[in-house]
Amino acid sequence: MSSEFNIIEPIKTPYKLNFLDDKQLTNLQEATLNILEKTGVQFPSEKALAIFADHGADVDRDSQVVKISRDLVFKAMTTVPRYFTLGARNPEFDLELQDGVSFFTNDGCGHEVIDFKTGQRRASKLSDVGMMARINDFLSSMSFSWTMVSAQDCGVTSPIHEMDVTWRNNTKHYQSVTMMGEELCRYGVEMATVLRGSLDEVRKRPPISLIVCTIAPLVQDKEAIEGALVLGEAGIPIVIMSMPTMGTTAPATYAGALAMGDAEIISATVLMQLANPGAPVFHSMLHAWADPRTAAYVGYPLDARVRYAPVEMAHHWGMPALGGAFGTESPELQSWQSAAEVATDPLLVSLSGAEIVTGLGLRNTYTLLYPEAIILDTDIYHRARHSLLALDVSPETLAVDIVANIKPGGHFLSQKHTRKHMRTAMKRSILQQLDSVGQYRQPVEYAREKVAWILENHHPEPPSTDVQKEINQILAAADKELKG
Amino acid sequence: MKEELFEKLAQAVIDGEPEDAVAIAKEALAQGLDPLECITNGLTKGIQKVGELFASGEYFLPELIIGADAMKEGLGVLEPALVGDQKREVVAHVVLGTVEGDLHEIGKTLVGTMLTANGFQVKDIGVDQPASAFIDAVKETGATIIGASALLTTTMLQQEKLIQNLEEAGLRKKVKVMVGGAPVTETYAKKIGADGYAEDAISAVDLAFRLADAPE
Repeated sequence: MSSEFNIIEPIKTPYKLNFLDDKQLTNLQEATLNILEKTGVQFPSEKALAIFADHGADVDRDSQVVKISRDLVFKAMTTVPRYFTLGARNPEFDLELQDGVSFFTNDGCGHEVIDFKTGQRRASKLSDVGMMARINDFLSSMSFSWTMVSAQDCGVTSPIHEMDVTWRNNTKHYQSVTMMGEELCRYGVEMATVLRGSLDEVRKRPPISLIVCTIAPLVQDKEAIEGALVLGEAGIPIVIMSMPTMGTTAPATYAGALAMGDAEIISATVLMQLANPGAPVFHSMLHAWADPRTAAYVGYPLDARVRYAPVEMAHHWGMPALGGAFGTESPELQSWQSAAEVATDPLLVSLSGAEIVTGLGLRNTYTLLYPEAIILDTDIYHRARHSLLALDVSPETLAVDIVANIKPGGHFLSQKHTRKHMRTAMKRSILQQLDSVGQYRQPVEYAREKVAWILENHHPEPPSTDVQKEINQILAAADKELKG
Repeated sequence: MKEELFEKLAQAVIDGEPEDAVAIAKEALAQGLDPLECITNGLTKGIQKVGELFASGEYFLPELIIGADAMKEGLGVLEPALVGDQKREVVAHVVLGTVEGDLHEIGKTLVGTMLTANGFQVKDIGVDQPASAFIDAVKETGATIIGASALLTTTMLQQEKLIQNLEEAGLRKKVKVMVGGAPVTETYAKKIGADGYAEDAISAVDLAFRLADAPE
């Protein structure tokens, strides 16, 4: 089991799938521009409103709605970088965004846990964040790390404690899902600066990034957007994520929901660029459906044809995309639903060309953690990864001379060519793990054993004592100031 | 020198190098070594090690098969050189084949390899073999076990016919019959009066050991 350590295996593929044609993309973008210009987006932040006003946007201070002309949108969008680096604690895990590569992470941010030892359902806490960061660090399916569950035992400063415990258990890039507000984000930048040694180094290889969610329809969150401005100033990447729900917080038509969600993302991206031209920003839209009878959130209906269209919309704007994958609605660790809903996700999101993708390992619509679930989801991930690899067609792999040796009716087991390749030809899935008598094991039993093994044996190098000391001082100061 | 050659013979089997096994066997004979000792202390030790490495999961099927090939090639040199009543010690003699009308080879070959690696003397009569060919081979070798493979629902009927023919030939009590193949089940094996059924090559070896020890 130790073989995975110290490698990451992103999905690399020469294949592409277009969900939208040029005309559809143009029409969607026109609809976004129309919404931004005519309807506008609410920014309940004096700072944001001031920035927009300074750059000539139509700002209504009373309603806090900003209308942005297409000229201003296009001008601001010219400075969005298409590719950049997500730095890691371990330089070997730095992620260089590029065409044809999708870097995946775990899901987030859950709030309940099925305790690995007791099996009891309980609220998530800081030690769960550390535990999952350690498991993430071991798994090759994980190119970077997300806040998997919230540290509910840490109060208002939990986001920076989550960052700290992640660094102590994980050497990959960390993307916070929870950090909000100007003050907390300043502490986050300070911690990143201590980790890297200087703000310049943070800019070159940002060890953290941040998810910022909009509020559909067409509202920005004050704390989220002001926190994002702080990180943007430090060159730390931001993911602007909209989550329109069709029928309730968005039109009940695919195109309408996409355009409206896009307007939320682009309005925030424009702000980031006006404030700090060149600030690294990801585009992300995870739309959902409202059940027409109950209004319940439905992430995986039968027809989810535009699930990965937002990735193409991001690229049409010249932005990198975070795609959403996994996150079944099933509350079960393993059920038909938990596998079937997400089975094609990693395949389709990678074919769409998403640069980064969340996220494996939660159940009950991103809320419930079973530590074993990430192992089961990793199996689905690697199925997609292998499916999308380019095929090696060469004299060695064609093996025409070996076929000639055998002639009709023989077998290949006695060939040295077979000996050389058979060992690696069949990739053993979690479904083909053998027990002591050669029978296939129960996948969930294997997953549980693997989690236990990782927790027992995998201990990533934590930050140095000096760095940790400084981080502890920052955490203490934040606790004192913000917890009151 | 003697021990070194035994080790080299064993290593040729472990490494799966049939050409080396032949060359070293010839060298051993040229140096006047006892062929039975070469088999027992060289080739057999090698194949036992291959079996251990396979059982522990380190070796895969190709290593097992090529190791068995190396042993077979080595035996091809050493066995003809046995003198007097010298005989290689074997667990039991087994006649192995795929039944009439069936051309599937690999399952039966794997069973043969595994049996050989575990000390059985195997005569593989090939595919598409009528009951009479199995019976002739039993008479020729004095085998006490038959392994009959069938991969089709249409050809598995030949396994039953083989057992009937053994009865008619008066050999049934002297020979244990084990059957296998994709459509064959434990229930079917019992129904046709076979002595045992094995799902795969590994369990076929366990079964053969049980049958070798079973009373007539």
